[in-house]
Amino acid sequence: MVSKAADSAIKLRKSHGQPANDAVGTLSSKIDQLEKQIQAERFVSIKEKLLRNGKKVQCHVSHVVSAISKRDSLHTQENRINQMLSSRIDHPLFKFNAFSQGSGDKDLNNSLDVIFTASIKMPYIERLPPYTSWIFLDRNQRMAEDQSVVGRRRIYYDQHGSEALICSDSEEELTEPEEDKHEFTDAEDRILWMAFEEYGLTEEVLDAVSESVGGTRQEIQDRYKILREKNMERQDQESESSGDVESRIGISLEESLSTALDSFDNLFCRRCMMFDCRLHGCSQPLIYPSEKQPVWFEHEEDRKPCSDQCYLRLKAEKILEGNEATTMEEGVLTLASSGAAELGNKSTATTLVEERCNSMNATPFPVEVAGCGGLNLNVPVAESLGKRKTINQSDKALSDLTLLTDDSQSSCKKQKKITDTDVVTAVNDYNRDLNVSACDEKCIIASECLNDSVERASNKPLLSGSTCPDEHGNVGDGPKDGMAEAEFNESSYFMNEHVEGMKSLSEWKPLEKELYLKGVEMFGRNSCLITRNLLSGLKTCMEVATYMHAGGASMPYRSNVPPNSLKNDNGNTDAECTDQEMPTRARLIRKRGKTRKFKYSWKSAGHPSIWKRIADGKNQSCKQYTPCGCQSMCGKQCPCLHNGTCCEKYCGCSKSCKNRFRGCHCAKSQCRSRQCPCFAAGRECDPDVCRNCWVSCGDGSLGEPPRRGDSQCGNMRLLLRQQQRILLAESDVAGWGAFLKNPVNKNDYLGEYTGELISHREADKRGKIYDRANSSFLFDLNDQYVLDAYRKGDKLKFANHSSNPNCYAKVMLVAGDHRVGIFAKEHIEASEELFYDYRYGPDQAPAWARKPESSKRDESAASQGRAKKHQSH
Amino acid sequence: MSKPVPVALGCEPVVGSLTSSRKRDYKVTNRLQEGKRPLYAVVFNFIDSCYFNVFATVGGNRVTVYQCLEGGVIAVLQSYVDEDKDESFYTVSWACNIDGTPYVVAGGFNGIIRVIDAGSEKIHKSFVGHGDSINEIRTQPLKPSLVVSASKDESVRLWNVHTGICILIFAGAGGHRNEVLSVDFHPSDIYRIASCGMDNTVKIWSMKEFWTYVEKSFTWTDLPSKFPTKYVQFPVSKNLFMLQIKIYYNCIQFQVFIASVHTNYVDCNRWLGDFILSKSVDNEIVLWEPKVKEQTPGEGVADILQKYPVPECDIWFIKFSCDFHYNAAAIGNREGKIFVWELQSSPPVLVARLSHAQSKSPIRQTAMSYDGSTILSCCEDGTIWRWDAVANSAT
Repeated sequence: MVSKAADSAIKLRKSHGQPANDAVGTLSSKIDQLEKQIQAERFVSIKEKLLRNGKKVQCHVSHVVSAISKRDSLHTQENRINQMLSSRIDHPLFKFNAFSQGSGDKDLNNSLDVIFTASIKMPYIERLPPYTSWIFLDRNQRMAEDQSVVGRRRIYYDQHGSEALICSDSEEELTEPEEDKHEFTDAEDRILWMAFEEYGLTEEVLDAVSESVGGTRQEIQDRYKILREKNMERQDQESESSGDVESRIGISLEESLSTALDSFDNLFCRRCMMFDCRLHGCSQPLIYPSEKQPVWFEHEEDRKPCSDQCYLRLKAEKILEGNEATTMEEGVLTLASSGAAELGNKSTATTLVEERCNSMNATPFPVEVAGCGGLNLNVPVAESLGKRKTINQSDKALSDLTLLTDDSQSSCKKQKKITDTDVVTAVNDYNRDLNVSACDEKCIIASECLNDSVERASNKPLLSGSTCPDEHGNVGDGPKDGMAEAEFNESSYFMNEHVEGMKSLSEWKPLEKELYLKGVEMFGRNSCLITRNLLSGLKTCMEVATYMHAGGASMPYRSNVPPNSLKNDNGNTDAECTDQEMPTRARLIRKRGKTRKFKYSWKSAGHPSIWKRIADGKNQSCKQYTPCGCQSMCGKQCPCLHNGTCCEKYCGCSKSCKNRFRGCHCAKSQCRSRQCPCFAAGRECDPDVCRNCWVSCGDGSLGEPPRRGDSQCGNMRLLLRQQQRILLAESDVAGWGAFLKNPVNKNDYLGEYTGELISHREADKRGKIYDRANSSFLFDLNDQYVLDAYRKGDKLKFANHSSNPNCYAKVMLVAGDHRVGIFAKEHIEASEELFYDYRYGPDQAPAWARKPESSKRDESAASQGRAKKHQSH
Repeated sequence: MSKPVPVALGCEPVVGSLTSSRKRDYKVTNRLQEGKRPLYAVVFNFIDSCYFNVFATVGGNRVTVYQCLEGGVIAVLQSYVDEDKDESFYTVSWACNIDGTPYVVAGGFNGIIRVIDAGSEKIHKSFVGHGDSINEIRTQPLKPSLVVSASKDESVRLWNVHTGICILIFAGAGGHRNEVLSVDFHPSDIYRIASCGMDNTVKIWSMKEFWTYVEKSFTWTDLPSKFPTKYVQFPVSKNLFMLQIKIYYNCIQFQVFIASVHTNYVDCNRWLGDFILSKSVDNEIVLWEPKVKEQTPGEGVADILQKYPVPECDIWFIKFSCDFHYNAAAIGNREGKIFVWELQSSPPVLVARLSHAQSKSPIRQTAMSYDGSTILSCCEDGTIWRWDAVANSAT
């Protein structure tokens, strides 16, 4: 539409050729004209819409008509007669005649009263106590933005209806003036486009336009710019005809990791370990602990190749050559399987084995066992492929091998068994791959790619389908020739080949690179784990290892290095090759020492100021905790310190931070008395923090964590949801009530009072509405939040108030969150109703809460402030 | 009640003129006084062709079934009274069981839905469940065993009157924030309903995902209370954005379709094809097209197409009604006048303006007969008025 308008505008300008100043007069008339035209078009379009819709309505009606006639046909005349309604039609209770024709309007004074002689009675059914539909919550939720009543107009009518009482508080109306960004309609676009294209972007034109178009002048100008860009784009597109639009579904490999992880960062709650956490919300500030978790660690000697493509195989060959026997089994394995690979192939490949064996001859290295294992197992495979000749040849080669490695046998006896079994699995793996593949003519790389490509086939059908086969061919040639004359002294030779092969097979996409870096962060320089966990299906271990050696790890410092330049780095990768795990190990050891030291150096569990507060007999003031992002130690700037909260495990600061709450050391007390620093501070114990508080999980079939204390901690009941069954029924006192299914003892935990977390401001607004209905479900949680169980909560929200209650409510800090637990104040029998003292503030309490004997829903309630429940002290 | 924001250019609605076209003339042919309590609802039976001239009214604790006979005669057929004198029925609707036995379904202050078997003159079922008063009950025209109820407890419930099951509850996170005043089934999309209420919004819900429960409700033989009633928490709109997100993570909630057409209570809404007719206390009925906003897919926008002015109609709980073919709608006002609008013409045509010297009481609801030739109105003062089209003026 815009382009159409633009065309006409250009035409007009050409034909008129007036200077802009004179044109302003004509402009306004032209705008008027256009407005009228737009309006006319609008009316026509509405008419068309209604016409179309009218057809739909007809269609709907005809459906209903046919449904009716279908039902009618089901009715036989007989069963209709049986119906009272039909018989009443024949014999009505009473008939009221119409006004006589001539009586006219004035004769209506004698109204016809309907007299009910034979009314059928509907038996009395007691109505339910009123309630508002509510949703069960098993954990608190933060209020969603759109649920706010602040700044929203609220209209009340009196009980019976017709007159508006209060429209809204004046204060409320003032709070949020809705300054929405103006959204331009198509029609407005047309007008401003016409005006500016034709008369230029001058003040006068802007004046004229803003009279008929909404939005500020700035917005109008911005809009014009946008329209111009759009128009340009459109013209570009037209000239380019149809550029194929790439449909983007899911994560594209071209995206950067941060883009791909955007929703992860925004939606994943690191405190609750779940997506879309309703308690802590989206887009939480990311806090990285200053003490990193130790990276996953495996001793290299313990490691087994993760796949055919494991770098360990490659490494073994190198080590082989360098007379190192440390990682022998892997090396052997690699050899065995690569031997197997070649066995299955053509004779060129077998010559390669010979070559390789020859080169091994030079080294006093115990390959014999592995070789034999490999060979024996390979025979059937090779036979089935009908390559007897090959076997013979390799037999020969292997016998050579055996002879020469005799002298070093003694050193490897221990490893024999392991190797044997390893070889079996490796070869089996290989066999499987071989069967899948149709291209056994391809050389090593081809077979290496196999595994990869099979995987890839499922993930990236496009890539593997179109590019892979070709590449196999090309790449396959290189190594074939190369290996025939291979000199194993060049350790970087293989590397080069692989890098080249890799590059042509799969370039490192930005996402892959970033994933790799994340992997290094998590697992250290362990290509097996990185590949398995982050790049599975994208890269092989070997590729990752190569990339790592090629300096991939240093990518962030040279962030814009294109993948092509990798090749140049290959020359100097040798030096880095050997240090795959070294730094990790060192770091780990350091860390272990550190933590241990702290563990035993803690004398007092809590922070001094907490102790002081506890000693004062005051519960820790309920301050909302927000994790701080301090690095290492928290100083004066630390928001936690500033807020008067302790640092928790979610903070960025180090474990030795002075402001940390350090949990308890209780051994036998079950943490149920004030002797436990956690209990005294109004906190639940945290198995991550407290020393002896442990949790068993499940039925023990998954194995239990080490038992640290004598008995299970009794102060994790909200955390573990060890709650009682609560029943909902009509209260003996007023409205609904909460009842207990099974008997409990004093101080037993009954359940949580859950609800929406709302701000105090919001609570005041809602409170006004609730007080009007004289039924409030607000509970003061801490300095920032109030719980509102009106629309979301659990059955305990129905527990009534009593000044002589059998329960009490207590706000507990559970894993950084304040939660309200309801506890038994005394022994309670089964199916007794639950009451607790709402502890309204003196000026807030409704009448029924003030007078001990009055019921909860006393009609004559006259509350001053907004009633909010409080915990018992 | 002026609109706070001027209508943007190119989005102007067509406003009907209040000059009566006199296409059809109506004359008062009868008037009944049914007690002294206000009558809140009157409705014709559109379910069974034999009973198209049968209608029901509710007021106080009473449900009455009448028949419109030739020549302005009205016959009382049945009368039911709730033993609870405090009951005040607000709404009534016709339904039937799967055999076609006609049911009268009424609800009101007590929040109990009474399903009366008009075929045997017995109470068939009483649905207890709503936490507060019921403001409207409507019947699904294609499956007249299904009714929806709108309640003060902020929920809308779907019931099967045949088996007495509460199938679905439309409430919760995306639900209404205040009393629900009106609800209506989409005429052809059997999954779709629209509800509106005191929170100034109209919400469009889909029960497509839950349709198996609806089907299950017909064959349920166990106790109705054991039926796995489902909560529908989010009004649903066609949402392409959702699909894309779902590929990433399977955790995003459904988006809400809310249209802000009114700035006050919305007390009546009806589907007109794919468009919605709704009214607030602004002296007009509004016809609008629900659309999904492109930038924020959660929220819907309403393209207001037409307005049907109704003077002196600025109090709430006044409901309009349409004839079977949706050709016309009739609505009463605060002063006892009735306005009959042709719905589908553009610009809207006022068919007739009905007034009578003695009709002064607010008209709570009107009922148009199958062909629109009879209009009934029930008033605050407990009177029922019958207006019949004058035959000769149709030419």
